[in-house]
Parts: sequence; C-alpha cells; structure tokens
Amino acid sequence: MIEVEELRKTYRGGRGLHGFSFRLESNELVGLVGPNGAGKTTLIKILATLIPANSGKARVGGHDVSADPRAVRAVAGYLPDIAGIYQDLRVRELLEFFADAFRLKEPKRSAAIQIALELSGLQDRTDEYVEHLSLGWKQRLLLAKTLLHEPKVLLLDEPATGLDPLARISLREQLKRLHSEGVAILISSHILSDLEDMCTRILFIADGKNVSEPGAPALSAGIPETRIQCEIGFQGPSELANQALENIPGARVLERKEGFLLIEIPGGAAEASSLLRAIVNSGMVVEHFDARGPGLEERYRRAFGERLS
Amino acid sequence: MMRLITNPMINKELRQRLRERRAWLLPTLYLLILSGTVSFAYYMTTDAEMRSQREVQGADIGLAIFFTVVFTQIIALLLMAPVFSAGSITIEKEQRTLTGLLTSLLSVTQIWWGKFVAALLYLLLLLLSALPILALSFAFGGVEPLQLVRATASTVLVLAAICSVGLWCSATFRRSIHSTAACYGIVLVLSVVTAVIFGILMSHWSSRHFMLMRRGDGPPAYVQAPLFLNPLYPLLSMMDDADFREFIYPTSSWLLFAAMGCLAAAFAMRRLKRGSDQL
Repeated sequence: MIEVEELRKTYRGGRGLHGFSFRLESNELVGLVGPNGAGKTTLIKILATLIPANSGKARVGGHDVSADPRAVRAVAGYLPDIAGIYQDLRVRELLEFFADAFRLKEPKRSAAIQIALELSGLQDRTDEYVEHLSLGWKQRLLLAKTLLHEPKVLLLDEPATGLDPLARISLREQLKRLHSEGVAILISSHILSDLEDMCTRILFIADGKNVSEPGAPALSAGIPETRIQCEIGFQGPSELANQALENIPGARVLERKEGFLLIEIPGGAAEASSLLRAIVNSGMVVEHFDARGPGLEERYRRAFGERLS
Repeated sequence: MMRLITNPMINKELRQRLRERRAWLLPTLYLLILSGTVSFAYYMTTDAEMRSQREVQGADIGLAIFFTVVFTQIIALLLMAPVFSAGSITIEKEQRTLTGLLTSLLSVTQIWWGKFVAALLYLLLLLLSALPILALSFAFGGVEPLQLVRATASTVLVLAAICSVGLWCSATFRRSIHSTAACYGIVLVLSVVTAVIFGILMSHWSSRHFMLMRRGDGPPAYVQAPLFLNPLYPLLSMMDDADFREFIYPTSSWLLFAAMGCLAAAFAMRRLKRGSDQL
C-alpha cells in the first residue's frame, strides 16, 4: 500500500529525510517512532502529497505521490498532529462539506455522512456547532471526516496529541477496527504504549534515516522479534535453572531474585516453549511463566539510547 | 468549468462569512455612511443655489447624488476588500484547516475560486444594497442608466482585482495581520502613489506645454498612465466635469485592472500549490 524508496527531503539546518525507505502492506498497522525532528512528520506530509520530496520514490495505493497526487488523495486519508477544524460550522455541515470536497455523489454521499456520524458517535449532535464539542469529540469528528471517502490508507501524525485517556482508548479501538477491516495504517506517535497495543510493526526513524534495533536488524523489513524475555516464578533453588539454561544457546539471565528469574533468549514462542520444557525437566517447580518480546519502551531505548544519552 | 460553479468552497465560505457578526454590522454601517453622504451632497447642491442665487436644476442634484454615492461606495469598498480577501487563506493557515483542503480532492483553482467568489459576493451584496440610494439620482434626473451600468461595472472590476490581490497576499503570508497590512499597502500605492506620480508628471508636462494647456488640451496618455492603475480613474473618466474631461482612457485602466487580477490569481494559486511548507 505504501512504498518508499530512498526518500530525501532537506530543510535548512539539515533536518528532513535522508534516504528513508520502507514498505507497508495492506494488512498492516505500522507505528512510526523516533525522537523529535527525526523526520516523521516530513515523511507523512510527503505521503499525504502536502510537500514534495527532493528525491526518491514514494507510492501510496500504487500511485506516485509526485506524479499523481490527486489519485493518492483519493485513496489516502490524512490526519495531521494538530488538525484544525471549522469551529463555526455545524457537525453535519462540516461532514457535508468534506463529502462534497471528496466528490461523493448521492446516494453514497448521504450514506457516508451517516456512517461518519455513527462512527464518531455524533448522530444526536448533528446540529451542534463544532466549537461546542470537546477535544475528544472533535478528534472523533476529524477521524470520521478523514474516513468519509473510505480511504485504503490512513496517514496519522500524532493523532492522540492532547486527548484524555478515554478519548485515546476510543481512538485506539477505532484504529484497530479499521485495521481489521483492511485499512492500511501508518501512525506516528510518541505514546509508545498505544502503539504497542495496536501496531503490527514498528518503524524506527532518526535523522531522517531508518534505524534498526541492536539485535533486531531486520525489524524495518517486517521480520518479527528475534529476542524474547521470559519471566519465571518458581519454588526451589534457582541453581537448577543454570543447568537448564546451559542447553539454551544465547540465553541470558537479566534479573535473579528469590523465586523469580527474568531470562532473555533468542527466538520466539517456540524457543520460549523449549526453555520452559528445559526448566521443568531440570526439576524446578514453575508457578508462573510469561514469555514476551521486549517492550516497545525497551526497544526504543535500544534503538535511540545512544542519541538520548 | 462546472466544478468551479458547483464548488463546495463557495457554499462553505458564504456560510461562514454570513455567520460572523460583522456580516450584518458592516452593511448597516455602510448604508448609514452612504445615506449621510447623499444627504450632504443634496444639502451642498441646494445650498449652492441659495449662495450663488442661481437656479439649480433637478439634474444637477441627480448628478451630484450619483457621483457622491459612486465615489463614496468605491472608497468604502476599497477599504473593506482587503479585510474580506487578505485574511481568507491565512485564516485557514492560522486555524490549521488548510491541510484538510489541500489533501481533499479540491483543486487549488477550486479553493482559490471559492475564496474569491465569497469575498467578491459579499462586496457585491454591499454594492447591491446601495442601489436604492443610487436610484435616488434617477428621481432627480440627469443620470443615464448607461452611466449606472458603467459605474457599477467599473467598481466591480476594480474590486475583483483588489480581492485577487488580497488573496495573493493571503496565500503568501502566514498571518492575517501581515497579509491584510500588505494588501492595504498595495491599495494605498494604487490610490495615492499613482496620483502623486501623475501630479509630478503633470506639473512637468504642463510647464513644457503651457500653450497646449491654455488651449484646453489634456495631458497625453503617457502622462496619465500612472493613473490607469488608480481605482478611481475609470469613474473619473465618466465625469462630465471640466477638471476631469481629459481622462479619456478608461479602457486602458479596465484592462490593467483585469491583468492585475489575473496575475495575482496565478501567483496566489502557484503559492498555494507550492506553499504547503507554511502549514
């Protein structure tokens, strides 16, 4: 759905994109993370046809963003970080305007407006002025407006900025639902917990370039996690675990307490299962076992740790 | 072409504009000013009769009212045009709504046209609301319908050009205050600076062609040229007054204003296309 190859855009002061590449398939919900000034907004703006790139290729829905911006706009929905909204229009008027702006014809127009009202939960407030809505409701309306023309790709730049927790949860649920309906989504955000909850993949970006995590070099290409952390609660001496770990290549004890071990091993669920089997076979009484990849915060720290320090 | 007529921007712009408080306040103020100037013109004309002991014809009063209204309204509308046009795109930038327009299927031409038509239509509304006042001159006589048509057409053309210039300023600047100030600057240059340049050229020309002046010949076109860009020139050329009889090139003025409007429109659309970095 999105193909970006060696995209470059330089601003004064050197900021921008310096050869960023990635692909996003139609069944993906991809999070874009990186420090401020990394080039996230520039990338999304180029994909939304708002700014031209200096070089490189970018295609959205099969259309080149510089050669055929109108076709891109027809298949993409864009929600900027601080999106403005016409405060002096009523809810229905706003949706009608954008339905017309996307050239929806009757009866599709009325249906799209009705769906947008239902999606945003504003069907009982159609005659209210937008300025009387809370920030959360405005954000819902903005997302509904962005979806009016049924885009195949959603480009979201910090959509949760300024939202309260409930509104954030609601936004997250909406995005999950859209993803399940087949909409490809690229979302930039600093709220890692939200991304962790909903994204199928995370892209790291810094200084306008792809950043790969140490230990996970192919992450940007869509290959799953290569290391997994296992929490083990047990009874008995922890020395027994040492024997079990000797049979798991690359295993590392990250934390050891009485009755608790945190172990990192290369691989995924199958390797975690082997570890559990080895531990049980060693004679330890396992009370609790939880295997998971490193959290996004941890991955972010790994990817950008040097830059942050 | 059809898309320009059935442009959703026009609907939205007019709706927003007419919801502002000034939408009703300005016409009221505008008509009050026009009524005041008409009363003043009537008083001055009839008072002249008493002072000079000469009989004033109804046609004199009609012409006085007509030209007073025509000039007052173009001056008032020239002062209002930057307010309605120069803030039109900058407000979208300030409220961060321009991205929504630029990422929709609306073309830059449609966005510009919607803004332009909305600004001009509001000024035309004011112009239309003054027609009953202008019609008073017909009650007194002395004014031909063709004069009314010509005056209105000239005013509309000048206002359209100024609106276009205002939109160019609006597309160029980030803040409404800056674009409005720039547009007022341009209106000032067109109205005052052109007159000053004409004055300088005129004094230079008259000192060299004293005989021609005595014979009653007006300055040639090249001396009048700076005035072609003056918004009042097309109206001055309509006056049958001895002082303005030499202003005989309204067509040049109309063409220049039309060209100015078209150029400003092209620049504004180009700026809108390339100016997404301002978002």
